[in-house]
Parts: sequence; C-alpha cells; structure tokens
Amino acid sequence: MHYIWKEWKENIRGKGLWLALSIIALISISILVRSASLSFEKGFYILLINLFDTIIYFIPILCLFIGAFSVFQEKEQKTLIMLLTKRDSYPSFLMRKSTGLYAVVLVPLAAWFFLYLLMLKFQFALDFKGYLIFAVSILVMAVIFLQMGAAVGSFSRSRMQIIGYTIFVWFYFFFLHDFILLSFLPDVTYENVKFFSLVYFLNPLQAVRMFLETGMGVYSFGHMSRMLQAFMWTKPAFFMLGNGVFWLAVSFGAAVLFNRKEGYE
Amino acid sequence: MKKLTLLSFILSLLLFIKPEEYMAAEHGSLQATIDSMKEGAVLKLENKTYEGNIVITKPLTIIGSEQTVIQGDGTGNVISVKAAKVHLKNLTVTGSSMDRNSAEEYAAIKIYTNHNIIEHVTIRNSFHGIYLSQAHHNTIEYADIKGMGKGEIAAQGNGLHVYYANDNLLAHNKIEGTRDGMFFDYANNNKSYDNTIINTRYGLHYMYSDENIFKRNTFTMNQGGAAIMNSNGLTLEDNQFIVNYGNQSFGLLLLQANDNSIQGNLFYMNQRGLYIDQATRNTIRNNRIIQNQIGIELWASSNDQIFTLNRISENTIPAVTIGGKGEGNAWSHHGKGNDWGSAFPLTDLNQDSIGDFPITYHSSLHQLLEDQELTNLFLKSPAVGIYEKINATLNDDEVMFKDPHPLVSKGGSHSSLLFAALGVIAVLILIKGRETLCIIFGRNGKKI
Repeated sequence: MHYIWKEWKENIRGKGLWLALSIIALISISILVRSASLSFEKGFYILLINLFDTIIYFIPILCLFIGAFSVFQEKEQKTLIMLLTKRDSYPSFLMRKSTGLYAVVLVPLAAWFFLYLLMLKFQFALDFKGYLIFAVSILVMAVIFLQMGAAVGSFSRSRMQIIGYTIFVWFYFFFLHDFILLSFLPDVTYENVKFFSLVYFLNPLQAVRMFLETGMGVYSFGHMSRMLQAFMWTKPAFFMLGNGVFWLAVSFGAAVLFNRKEGYE
Repeated sequence: MKKLTLLSFILSLLLFIKPEEYMAAEHGSLQATIDSMKEGAVLKLENKTYEGNIVITKPLTIIGSEQTVIQGDGTGNVISVKAAKVHLKNLTVTGSSMDRNSAEEYAAIKIYTNHNIIEHVTIRNSFHGIYLSQAHHNTIEYADIKGMGKGEIAAQGNGLHVYYANDNLLAHNKIEGTRDGMFFDYANNNKSYDNTIINTRYGLHYMYSDENIFKRNTFTMNQGGAAIMNSNGLTLEDNQFIVNYGNQSFGLLLLQANDNSIQGNLFYMNQRGLYIDQATRNTIRNNRIIQNQIGIELWASSNDQIFTLNRISENTIPAVTIGGKGEGNAWSHHGKGNDWGSAFPLTDLNQDSIGDFPITYHSSLHQLLEDQELTNLFLKSPAVGIYEKINATLNDDEVMFKDPHPLVSKGGSHSSLLFAALGVIAVLILIKGRETLCIIFGRNGKKI
C-alpha cells in the first residue's frame, strides 16, 4: 500500500502520466467525433476497433517509458539502495513497485474509459460485454508493457539506455516480430503451424487484438480450413492469458537477473 | 315512384358494404376460423398466442395486434400461403420445423403463390424466415427476422429464401443471425431496397439469379457481405458493406458473375472490399472502398472489369491481382480513373482534377496471399509496410495496377490533424519543465 501511495504521489507531481492520459483522451475523443456518422446499432463496434487500432500506437510506448523511468528514478535518487539495505530483496522490491505502477496507471486509465462509455451512450447502442472486453484488452496491454518497462528500468544504467531499449522493444513488437514471421510464412505447413501460432501469439499486440476482435464478435472464424484450425488451437482468451503470463514472468525474471545500479561500475 | 326510391335506397346501401370482417373465435382453432372465412375477408387477431400450423387456401387478409403470436408445432411451415392475394400484417410467427433431413425445407412463412403482401411480421425460432417458392410479384416489407446467431450457421436456414421466384419486392426488412440473410436461387428481376442484414454467413447470396436490383441495403458484421455467384446483369447501388471482417471475409464477392453494375456503394473496414474471381465485364463505378485490409482482390481469371471514379483509400493494400494478370481489366474509363487517396500523392498542374502522371502500384504480397492463407492474419500489422518496402528495393515485387488517369484526391485525412494536436499537447506539457525527460518521467516531480 505504501508503494502504491508513493508511486501515486510521484506520478501526479510528474507529467508523464498526465501526458500519457491526455494523449489517450485526445485520441479517444477525436475518434468519437470522427465516428459521429456511424450507425447507432453497429457504430459502437466500429468505433472501438478504430480506437484500438489507433491507441495501439501509443499505449505500449507510453507504458514502457512510465515503467522504465519509474524504476530508474529509484536508482537515481538512491532510494533503491535504502530500500534494499533496509529489508527488501530486489524481487520483493520489484513486486511492490510493479503493483504500485499498475495501480497508478490502470486506475486512471480505467476511470477514463468508464467516463468514455458515458459519452458513447449518447451516440450508440451500447454492448457492455463488448466494452468490457475492450477495456480488458487495453488494461492487459498496459500491464504487459509496464512490466517490460520496469525490466528496462532495472537493467538500464542511464536515461539514454532507457530510451534506446524502450524504442527497441516498441519497434520489435510493432514491426520486427511480424516481419520475421512474414519472412517464414512460405515455410509454414500443417505440421509446424502450431509452433508458428505460438510464436505469432507471443506478440502481445496480436494476442490482444485477436482477443478483442473475436470477443466482440467482429472477427469471425467460421468455416476454417484444417490449417487455420490447427493455427487457432485454443481460444483467443487463452492465447492472451498465456502471452500475459509469459511476458510478465520473462520481464520480471530479466529485471531480477540483470538489474544494475546507476552509472558504470 | 315508391318502388324507384326503394331501389335507389337498396343500391345506395351497396356503397357501404365492406369485406366481411372476422374476429378470431375465442374457442376453436385458427385454421378452422380461416377455413370458414369467405374470399377477400379480413381476420383481425387478438393480443394472444394462436396455435399453428395454418394453411391459407383463399385470398384474405390477416391482421394481428401488437402481441399476436402464431406458434408453430415444430413439424412444418407455420404459415403456408397457397392462395394468391393474401395479405399478412402485424404478426409474430415462431416455431417452424428445424429438420434438415426432410424432403421439404421449412419456414415460418412459406409462400407458393403470387401477388401476396407480407408486412410488419416478426419471425423467431424458425428454419427459414420467409420462403418464396416459385412465387412471383409478392411484396415482403418490414419483416424482422432473427436466427440463432453465428454459432449455429449450419443448423438453420436463410432470412429470406427466394427460390425460382421472380418480380418480387423485398424492402425495409431487418435480418440478423441467420445462415444467409437473403438467398436468391434461380430468381430473376427481383428488387431489394433498404434492407439491413447483420451477423449472418453471407448477407446476400445470389445463385443463378439474373437482372435483380439491389439498392440502399446495409450489410454489417457478416462473414461475407454479398456473394454473387453465377449471376448476371445485376444492379447494386448505394449499398453499404461494413465490417465484414474475419477469416476469408469480403464486402462483395463476384464469382462467375458477369455484366453487373456496382455503383455508389460503400465498402468500409472489410477484410477484402471487393473479391473478384472468374468474373467478366463488371462495371465498378463511383464506389467508396475505404479502410479495408485489401481494397480489391482481383484474380487472374477475371477479365474486362472497369474501375472508374471510385475512391479507394486508406486500405492496407489498395488492390492486388493474384494468380497472374487478367486481360482487359481497366483502371480508368473515358479518361477518368480512381481517387487513390493521400497514399498516392499527385500533381494537377492543369487543374482538371486528373493527375498529371499515371499511378502504378507494386506489391510483393500477392504471392504470399495466393500461397498461404495465414498471410491474412498480418494484414493489420505495420510490418506489412516494411515487408513491401524491402521487397521493392530487392525488385521482388510486381505491378498490381496502373491507373493512367488517377483522380486528384478530394477527401483530406483527419489523422494529420490528430497528430498535430497531439504534438501541441506534448509541447505544452514539456515546455513547463526545464529538464524535460526526467521531469516528465520521474524525479518525484521535482525540477532539477
């Protein structure tokens, strides 16, 4: 609880969280205005898909930065050393720090999207289940990238390193991961498609998108070929869950294993 | 004189004679009441549930009230119309047989005759909604048909099934969750206006049906918007194909369909806007093909299409030709091409709204799309852009289309405004801090 309170105080004084939230709010409102001409009945789904497709450019990088700088400032201010010498081990510190980060980022984000739902009410027929799936998708994506950010903050020694690592992680998941898979696509057969599917859904952006679009009933998997059936060997929700657990574990493990102090030793 | 006055009085009474009006009997079956009616009579039903099934064998009118339900017994058609000039209005019909192994396909309302009017009917729990079987010149309006949803596609029939039936008018109907929304089989010269079809397999499915007119209909969230197969001479105008989006989905499929006119339609956020295979001499004019993953997918077996005056913008891939080049496909007509949006910048020095140079689009994805169906899963990924660019530098791409007379783009993109606004906000927030990055993301918010 102390960590959440500390994190909250630090973030409301800083501008990172507000910058991130104002960007997300502006995008949401802009898309709402652009969607004014959509039909009352189905416009809701179109708006959410468009919003997700736009917001996906911002949430990962903003969460990476917030997570990374939040951990790094503990090093900069020497509070990390104080905390560790007092009673905490690094994993215990990171666990508490991550909980604080989640609370500080997810609560305002969830609050904004609740407010946004009220705005949508005036324009479209609402589907609460669909909206819940949308909100869960956004929050899961934020959690994964916050944790990755915390890992970046843990093993970076300078702010320049943070910027470098963050941009690399963002670039990797945005472009490189899919690009590599595209290059291997001609070699995918029925025998190896399950492995290909595993790697495909390792990308949080793809796992979350699939969960969102199938969950809202927008993307349909009717009349699947044998190959596609083998590719979708479990439900999208499980792909997203697996992806979340995998990246949280990897990020946490990497942060604990490779955490380094500030400056060069 | 007295006799003459009496005769005129009797004759004048004729003016006030109306068709015989029945109120459905409290007791006794609905079928018995119908059988007892005279031709042309009007039967008014109360706010209650009547037991079906019923067969109508004489011209008459049945009008329900707000909560009138005709409940079938699940063994056949709930209402069979076997006489011409029957008028059904304000009814909820439910409970046809769902048997797929019977000799006959059942429906909530099955019409075997001509010149009938069915309006304001609600249909639930039935195999087909309304089935026109060799029935001509009928009008089906304001029907609300709901099937069992996407999970039960194979176990159910179509919303409106038109079989060997010509010259019918289908208008203002709302169909949701059936197998196909409207299915036309060997049905010619029908008109479909202002229908709304959502969450079906194919919103519209034409098989061997020619010269039909289809206007102002909306297809949303179907596996396929409209599938036109083996049908010729159709007119599709001002329809909307929106978010037909999923594995192998499309807004409009033309398969072995020739000489069709596709004008003024909107194709928005579909996996493919138009999917054209083994089709010839179709004219695609004045449509808006926007924000689809593939704007137009044109297979090599398709020849002599004309694409003119369309706005084809903001698609991941504007147009792709697969399996080689078809012959005679024209991307402009009488000196007017298409508006390809801001992705293809143009100059127009002579201000004639036609670009000063042709647009040629190269792509390397066509081979992957042809060989590997999983490619569709990447169409929303930004990596597609990089893949295309890298293959372009390796000269590993092919020409997908060449528009000799592209139209100068009229619609501006909002995204530049959005990014400008975002930039302003970022600058405003940053400008307050002195050591920007650490003020923004840390240092306990203290300025250092």
